[in-house]
Amino acid sequence: MDASFLDLLMAQQEEVTEAEGGGGIWVVADVVNGAVAPVTLEAIGAARNLAGSLGAYVYAVLLGDGVSGLAPTLYQAGADGVRVADDPSLATFAVEPYLEVLSDLFQAEQPEVIIFGATPQGQALAPRIAQRMGGGLLEHVVAMTLDEATRTVQASVPIYGGEYYEIMACPQARPQVLAVEPGAFPAPFMDPYRKGEPKSVEVKPAEPRVRVLGPAEEFTPPAVPLSQAPVVVAAGRQAGDFSLVEQLAARLGGRVAGDRGARDAGWISPEQIVDIRGVTVAPQVYVAVGIRGDTFHNAAVENAHFILAIHPDPTAPIFQVADLCIEADPKEVLPALIAALEQ
Amino acid sequence: MRIAVVLGRVLDPRGIVVNRRAGRIFINREEYILQPADRCALEAALRIKDAASAEVVALPRTFLPDDDVLCQALATGADRAIYLTGGPLGADEALMARVLVAAIAKLGGADLILTGATTMDTGQSQLGPRLAEALNWPQVLNAWAVETADGAARAVVNAGAGYVQVEVDLPAVITLLPGALKPRYPRGTQLINIYRGVGEIAQALEQWPAADLVEEAALTPVVERRGQDFPPERERGVRLTGSPEEVARAAAEALRKRLPR
Repeated sequence: MDASFLDLLMAQQEEVTEAEGGGGIWVVADVVNGAVAPVTLEAIGAARNLAGSLGAYVYAVLLGDGVSGLAPTLYQAGADGVRVADDPSLATFAVEPYLEVLSDLFQAEQPEVIIFGATPQGQALAPRIAQRMGGGLLEHVVAMTLDEATRTVQASVPIYGGEYYEIMACPQARPQVLAVEPGAFPAPFMDPYRKGEPKSVEVKPAEPRVRVLGPAEEFTPPAVPLSQAPVVVAAGRQAGDFSLVEQLAARLGGRVAGDRGARDAGWISPEQIVDIRGVTVAPQVYVAVGIRGDTFHNAAVENAHFILAIHPDPTAPIFQVADLCIEADPKEVLPALIAALEQ
Repeated sequence: MRIAVVLGRVLDPRGIVVNRRAGRIFINREEYILQPADRCALEAALRIKDAASAEVVALPRTFLPDDDVLCQALATGADRAIYLTGGPLGADEALMARVLVAAIAKLGGADLILTGATTMDTGQSQLGPRLAEALNWPQVLNAWAVETADGAARAVVNAGAGYVQVEVDLPAVITLLPGALKPRYPRGTQLINIYRGVGEIAQALEQWPAADLVEEAALTPVVERRGQDFPPERERGVRLTGSPEEVARAAAEALRKRLPR
């Protein structure tokens, strides 16, 4: 059956029209490697939920060089309007040119809410926009609700890396500026029939005030002590191939460590033994590869925020403290895990 | 050259326990430490002072109930410290930007403002850029190292997988990453002198009421705290099943969500 008329019907239904008179919820897009960053799509999805309660429209702003072709993605994600600042001077991110474009646009449109991604670009721009416009800024937002009586966004922000959340709001300040954490909000449904006509934004020349001199080749960052490392990949006697453990640590940007078995095997030095008699750790991520997990080791990792354990023995005590357990030979799982992380 | 260093404190996380099931935070040991990133900012300022003559002035990043942070800064090597009083304790960055800009003006200006890139507890990184905007100065965020020469500051920052050196004309605002530099310790004898009010160093701690710097209306916080929320209780022992490729994909997905950014 030919159903092409349905496509036409839906496309007609989903033609987006914009509101007059400013206001609304605005999302500033992050563009990474020529594509809209996932956090931007998530922010548009979150903005749509707010917009339903606020009775507001959702707009997205694209800045860069040769980015006009990305506008349809923003419409499909749920934007009612898209503004595009497409100019060679915006090819690489710099605060001053981007700030001038956004500042002029937002002064004209007077948004009620502005959403950035909690990315390096958002971190640099959101406070300056908030300061320039007299707005309040809530950073690292992982959830939001609306106080409909005052049209105030109430945002949950993580404290101590997510041990708990503070619910914060800027009831008096407008615009309300939010920087949303990547991955905190679900990706929106991409509606291929949602379309619109993006509008161009004037780009006034603004010289970046920070000059890039070149690679800092001689610079090496200070070594973080194992006890303070945010990511630790530790090997035990059952790890099998220690080079795979090192590869996994490199892939995760983590430090290599191990238990006493790894020390006995000659893979690590005594300073790298994770054990209450050695080093106690509290990383964001702890990966135990082939570590059985005796009492001394498990007590030393109990403050880790997330533990992944890989061990062939289903009765290994490490599985009692791990968040995620893989009962398998590390030699079989690690190559696949490294490959999966590279994708 | 005058360097203003903006410093704050944080409740030592080793002294608190969060009970997710009860939805409560238990403070077993109420001990405050200097914000780690701010400590690096102080160290960067002192290294610049060591290399070239500079006056280092410590200012608080929020209103504090006591001047311990500033005493520590003086004992570590700062030349002056300004204890700001009369504002709401723990005031937000929008309010503090107004107060700090006025305080820096009262100081007679500054050539460089250094502060931490982020706070350990709330993860806030907006104070530096807000100050840069309020003063119309350039900003360099998340620096690993800073040095000054010939009216400019050079900093090392991340760029993709590597590092680049950037340069900015002074005056400027630069924020330092936590762990960027190995900070020096405060000198014990200096701390004792400050607390006893003995010697020149004790005179270096000044107290400025916020009401002398900004109008009362400017001391109204922008951010309002409306409650707390707790993540679900940690579920341990979740077993992944399937082929090595399947479990590896699931594990990679879980790791990506939890890796620090």
